[in-house]
Amino acid sequence: MLFLALFGCASLALFGFIYWQTSRYLTSSVDERLQRDAQGYLANPDETAARLRKHVELDPQNIHPFGLFTRDGRYIAGNLTILPRFSPPLGRPFEYRQRTGGSLRPYRAFALRMAPNELLVLSESIYETDELRELLRNAMAWGGVFLLVVGLAGAVITGLGAVRRINAVTGAIERIVTGDLSGRLPMNRRAGDLDRLSLLVNRMLDDIERLMGEVKGVTDDIAHDLRTPLTRLLASLERARRRSEATPAPAAAEYERAVEEAIRETRDVLGTFNALLRIAEVEASARRAGFARVDLGTIAADVAEFQAPVAEEKGVALEFERPRPALQAPLALFGDPSLLFEAIGNLVDNAIKFTPAGGRIVVRAFAAKGRSGVSVSDTGPGIPEPEREAVLRRFHRLEKSRHTPGSGLGLSLVAAVARLHGLDLSMESANPGCRVTLSGRTSSP
Amino acid sequence: MARVLVVEDDPPTAAEITAALRDHGFETECVATGGEAVTRASAAHFSAIVLDRMLPGDLDGLEVLAALRGRGIDCPVLILSALSAVDERVRGLRAGGDDYLTKPFESLELTARIQVLLRRGATEERATRLKVGDLEVDLITRRVRRGADTIDLLPREYLLLEYLMRHAGQVITRTMLFEHVWQYRYEPRTNVIDVHMGKLRRKLDEGGRPPMIRTVRGSGYVLRAAD
Repeated sequence: MLFLALFGCASLALFGFIYWQTSRYLTSSVDERLQRDAQGYLANPDETAARLRKHVELDPQNIHPFGLFTRDGRYIAGNLTILPRFSPPLGRPFEYRQRTGGSLRPYRAFALRMAPNELLVLSESIYETDELRELLRNAMAWGGVFLLVVGLAGAVITGLGAVRRINAVTGAIERIVTGDLSGRLPMNRRAGDLDRLSLLVNRMLDDIERLMGEVKGVTDDIAHDLRTPLTRLLASLERARRRSEATPAPAAAEYERAVEEAIRETRDVLGTFNALLRIAEVEASARRAGFARVDLGTIAADVAEFQAPVAEEKGVALEFERPRPALQAPLALFGDPSLLFEAIGNLVDNAIKFTPAGGRIVVRAFAAKGRSGVSVSDTGPGIPEPEREAVLRRFHRLEKSRHTPGSGLGLSLVAAVARLHGLDLSMESANPGCRVTLSGRTSSP
Repeated sequence: MARVLVVEDDPPTAAEITAALRDHGFETECVATGGEAVTRASAAHFSAIVLDRMLPGDLDGLEVLAALRGRGIDCPVLILSALSAVDERVRGLRAGGDDYLTKPFESLELTARIQVLLRRGATEERATRLKVGDLEVDLITRRVRRGADTIDLLPREYLLLEYLMRHAGQVITRTMLFEHVWQYRYEPRTNVIDVHMGKLRRKLDEGGRPPMIRTVRGSGYVLRAAD
């Protein structure tokens, strides 16, 4: 409505301006013509009578009635026979109406003194100019009405469209709020402001849905991963009680075995919790305070040495490579050595777990130009491309590895440690197998 | 009989620690505040002190430690803390602590560490050779012999053995081995240490000799002269 009022005012102002300019132009052109004629008469006052006669001959239609009068208004010569009423001073244009041919016509006139007792009135019919003005006014009025109607209709239509869009958006949001996270805001093909906003909100909703899914997945996984050992624990304790009831003298060995098993299961559950808390702790960057200057190459070498017997037991070759000469290219880093050891350890641990006997694992410390780091590659089954992001999530395990022991938290910890140290964690296919690389910009010496 | 002063403000934790220590043959006394800790430790002799890092009131764990050391009380102190950050540990050890254990811990971990702390003064630091039963380690040449045979060990295996030999007859947990031999700090969940120990054992017991390293239920090892 406000828009409409503004629009109306603007068009009214525009029309008014056009009208005013046009009519001014028309009037001034009449005045100019009269002025010119007046100059002619004033230049030669003696020829007034002759000029007037000639003028009358040239103007049979009385478009330009000129007349010479005495001071008191008596007619002397010309085709204007009655002195129109006008108020002095002389030399200023004025308008009058006179009856010609049965109708009252408007004229614009100019009066000037010729001789001391004579008054010359030059006038021009402005009937046509007035007609033109009238026409202009009409045209503008109709144009205005038309514009107003079209504008109003347009406003109503767009307004209705906007209202409908907003209703649709509100509805969608309400559905989302009530729990349907898969809902999205409606989009038009046009790229309007509302669409840009909708696009952004939709992208945000995508993120929220993914995060909610992750949280739900993690919660489910925690519940599942903890329920299984707890169920086993309960079962073994119940079995011990049952058997002790059955035999009057409970076998000490039976009890001991049950307790042993219970301790082991409990320790596993605690281990899972500890791992979760550690990841949270690392993610909260609470450990940055313990940073010191460390050499990633040395840590990687220690990991390789630490894990070597495990690989050997499984029949997997574990090799360590580092740039030569080792001393000249230390992979210096500001970090927490224990966390880095644990992270690389987890990578090697995974590699050993998933590499079949006879396979080969290479832990390589490298210092290429500008980038340095550690990579662990194996000849195992590898991680399918679409799963690579997912394996970094808590508890995620590839379907085929569901039955190998492990909490599914190892890589999450690696990712958290990498983030804490500003390192990039990347995964690629090593044909066959998988190569995981932890690398960062080489710090200046 | 060794007496241990437990400084812990949380009653259940204090009860847990006391029970674990008693089970391992220690006498215990328990106080809940830093002020009491300083008073008691000044008044009586304790073989070791288990000190909570976070204490309510005017004196926290590190301040208690500073006060004790300032009074010339130099019995071994094991700091317990919920803070696992590396610099926390460093700060604790620098303030005069002898060991640092992060909560939550297993009771075996605590008692094993206390045992090691108590015995530390007893083992002759300057010895050049260690001997347990027929097993002998030359600390200078790093040569290991069992009876008449020389045993070839990898450097890491040697370090494991030396640590166990220094604490012969005491329970050493996996975490302690890892911290001492590999010099990193975290609790490896994998059984990697067991694999290393398995290799060491096989080498020591080669040729059907009676085993010397025994696994302790839970997560520890003891090296003893073979019967």
